[in-house]
Amino acid sequence: MAARPKGLTRLTLVVLLALAATGAAQQGAAAPKRIVSLVPALTEMLFAFGAGPQVVGVSSYDDFPPEVKSLPRVGALLDPDMERILSLRPDFVITYGSQTDVQTQLARAKIRAFSYRHAGLDSVLSTIRNLGTSVGRARESERLARDIQGRLDATRARVAKLRPLRTLLVFERDPASLRGVYASGGYGFMHDILGVAGGTDMFDDVSRESVQPSVETILARAPEVILEVRPMGVAKADIEKERHAWDALPSVPAVRNGRVYIATDEYLVVPGPRVAQAAEAIARILHPEAFR
Amino acid sequence: MSTLDSTVAVGASALTRPVRVRLALAVGGFGALAVATCLLAPLVGSTTISLARVFDRSIPFSENVDAQIFFIARMPRVLAGAVTGATLAAAGVVFQAMLRNPLATPFTLGVSAGASLGAMTAIIFGTAIAVGPLSIVPLASLLGAGLAAAIVYWLATLRDRAMSTTVLLLAGVTLNAFFSALILFLQYLTNFAEVYRAMRWIMGDLDVGSFQPILAVLPLVAIAFAMFALLPSSLNLLSVGSDAAAARGVNVARTQRLAFVSASLATAAAVSLAGPIGFIGIIVPHLVRLLVGVDHRVVLPASALFGAAFLVACDVGSRTILAPLEVPVGVITALLGGPFFLWLLVRKG
Amino acid sequence: MLRGTELSYGYASDRGDGRSFSLREVSVDVPRGSLTGLLGPNGCGKTTLLRLLAGILTPRHGSVALNGRPLASLSRREIARHIAVIPQETHPAFDYTVMEMVLMGRHPHLGPLQLEGPADLALAREALSATGTEHLAARAYMTLSGGEKQRVIIASALTQASEVLLLDEPTASLDLGYQLEVATLLTRLNRERSVTMLLATHDLNLAAALCDRLVLMREGRVLAQGPTNDVLTAPMVRQLYGVVADVRYHEGAGHLTVIPVSRER
Repeated sequence: MAARPKGLTRLTLVVLLALAATGAAQQGAAAPKRIVSLVPALTEMLFAFGAGPQVVGVSSYDDFPPEVKSLPRVGALLDPDMERILSLRPDFVITYGSQTDVQTQLARAKIRAFSYRHAGLDSVLSTIRNLGTSVGRARESERLARDIQGRLDATRARVAKLRPLRTLLVFERDPASLRGVYASGGYGFMHDILGVAGGTDMFDDVSRESVQPSVETILARAPEVILEVRPMGVAKADIEKERHAWDALPSVPAVRNGRVYIATDEYLVVPGPRVAQAAEAIARILHPEAFR
Repeated sequence: MSTLDSTVAVGASALTRPVRVRLALAVGGFGALAVATCLLAPLVGSTTISLARVFDRSIPFSENVDAQIFFIARMPRVLAGAVTGATLAAAGVVFQAMLRNPLATPFTLGVSAGASLGAMTAIIFGTAIAVGPLSIVPLASLLGAGLAAAIVYWLATLRDRAMSTTVLLLAGVTLNAFFSALILFLQYLTNFAEVYRAMRWIMGDLDVGSFQPILAVLPLVAIAFAMFALLPSSLNLLSVGSDAAAARGVNVARTQRLAFVSASLATAAAVSLAGPIGFIGIIVPHLVRLLVGVDHRVVLPASALFGAAFLVACDVGSRTILAPLEVPVGVITALLGGPFFLWLLVRKG
Repeated sequence: MLRGTELSYGYASDRGDGRSFSLREVSVDVPRGSLTGLLGPNGCGKTTLLRLLAGILTPRHGSVALNGRPLASLSRREIARHIAVIPQETHPAFDYTVMEMVLMGRHPHLGPLQLEGPADLALAREALSATGTEHLAARAYMTLSGGEKQRVIIASALTQASEVLLLDEPTASLDLGYQLEVATLLTRLNRERSVTMLLATHDLNLAAALCDRLVLMREGRVLAQGPTNDVLTAPMVRQLYGVVADVRYHEGAGHLTVIPVSRER
């Protein structure tokens, strides 16, 4: 009679211990309370799935959402300020994958680090999920990712029936001239967004993050649309003037048909939560007829 | 034996031919080479075009891709290459004579570092500004070059009106180091796209896209060459010795200053047009001297012509070797320059 | 023919103790057709005087006159047509041929963009033959021996067709044999072509052998000038170099010789 209650007690004890352990494990991997982010796109993600209040420090280039403007700055890719980072007493720091020095120092200080590398559109979504889980917002981040995916799919569907337009996607060039053109080379999240929006990257076959095409190459590949995404390179007042720089190449279909666009909105170049917005905006530019 | 007989007898050796003859042969030979290169270069490129289509008048220009590639992409590029190559080669000859050193280059005295700093500043900070029809990058580059040249000039003439070569070299080396440090600092301050574009500019780029950038620097190049025309015989005498030259009627101080100003102006113009393309200013004069001797009256014009041909040929390589990707032309000249120098060293040793 | 009057010249002092003069009120007379020697210890101002007389430097005080005309009133080219200079050392930065080196002497006679013509070439050939270097015309200058180089330099000065030749230590770096060669050449040129010469040297015996006139200099001042036999005496040598010497006429050589005996106490 005494053995059975002892076995049951033992089982209950084990179960209780197990529950306690899981609880403890969850406590250990609990949501960080002080997050520092060196990557603007990931800062946006944090705010988008509700971890905004935990952010205590951002990079020198962060400016969205508006809340980050009042936060302390800790440097960026080339000049991360370890002292400032440490002085903010973070328990979670988001770094670029290439910032191995920072990661080593964080490891020594026993601070959790999350490293990020540029890649395609898919990796934006998977980063949202991974980051969300790491900061204890698995549910919210999953919802955000699904939401974004949904919007991307919707855009894709809208332009599905239309012929994709061969597009030259320009990131930078010298003002008032066609020298120093720095364009998408067929790889990366901007290239993927272009695909979603119903365009074909003119340098798809090259598969590099960026290329510097010569005038001859541009003439030979004859893009149907020229889309310059230059949030920092052109002042709004100069957009018209800068568009006319392309008039030097009249045989290019984009120039002949007046389909040269310069977009200066910041969100277009951030591989963060607003990619769906970016895809929509670009789709509207490429295929206005699908949005009437 | 009368003096006339002696002259004829000795004329058999090429280098004792009268300089008139040598000059005519050199200009004729290298001139033909330059013209041929410039005529053939636009025919070659990363895209195949049909010459018949290019000159087919029945197709309106705005629709004729082949014609546009030929006249908008390639021709200005070939012309830019010819102008830059001629200018850098000639500037190299003048700097070498002025510094009494065959290893001097147009970039030894810091003019190119100044130009690079100017261009870099414009690429990184002045992205939205354009002055009239010209992009700010070449203008800033000229200003930077002018600043560097002015500093070196001032330092070199502080104590010696005739521009001591030692001070020139020291000032140039110092300026090169200082400006390079500033350039690195600027790159540190900025973001990726700009660093990449800045690095690309430093590797040299002849893809001007239109004749306008060339026309913009042409007046400077013309002035520089007009000054060059007055220098060669004085440079000959000067390179034998300062006192000897003065005793033969050369105004040493004026010649040094004229050489410095003209060669700096030429270098500034070339660098602002196409970026600092290295090795032209030293490979071309060396090769030319091997063929025509060292008399500057022949070497200067011959180098200008050969420089034009050489750079245009390098640019053809740049456009075709890894098509559709371009190898920056500065990389091609560097790849040719290194082995060339090794060969020179082996030969001398 | 060439006369310097009350010439003073100074190089800016590095020690900031005010201008120091390397030449003080030097007056020198080089008569037409003479072979005058400029003697003195190193640093006495010989080279500076030579440069002033050639018009390469401008004196702080005093003036130089050529046949009565002040150098200041002549253009550099014109001076060069009358006065040629052979500097102490010639190190061309580039590999010129002998012919090219010699033809450089024609520079003051050519217009700014003019190239040498057959007449210039003829003069060059003639100068080469006068210095016995015709066979070297096509050779690279830098491959010649010391004596050959010096003779080529003299040839290039001859091509300048000047009446006056100023030489700075023409035999300083030469072996004995070459010294004799060059000395003989200079004497011949002076006699056969009536080239007036001023020779700066610290070699007393060379001066005694070549020169009919001497100018003795010490610490930027002229100690004495006049015919060699009058000026080159033991007391003078003592004053000039602080050396006790034996100055006597050598029958075989046909001129004065100076044999140093001991340092002055």
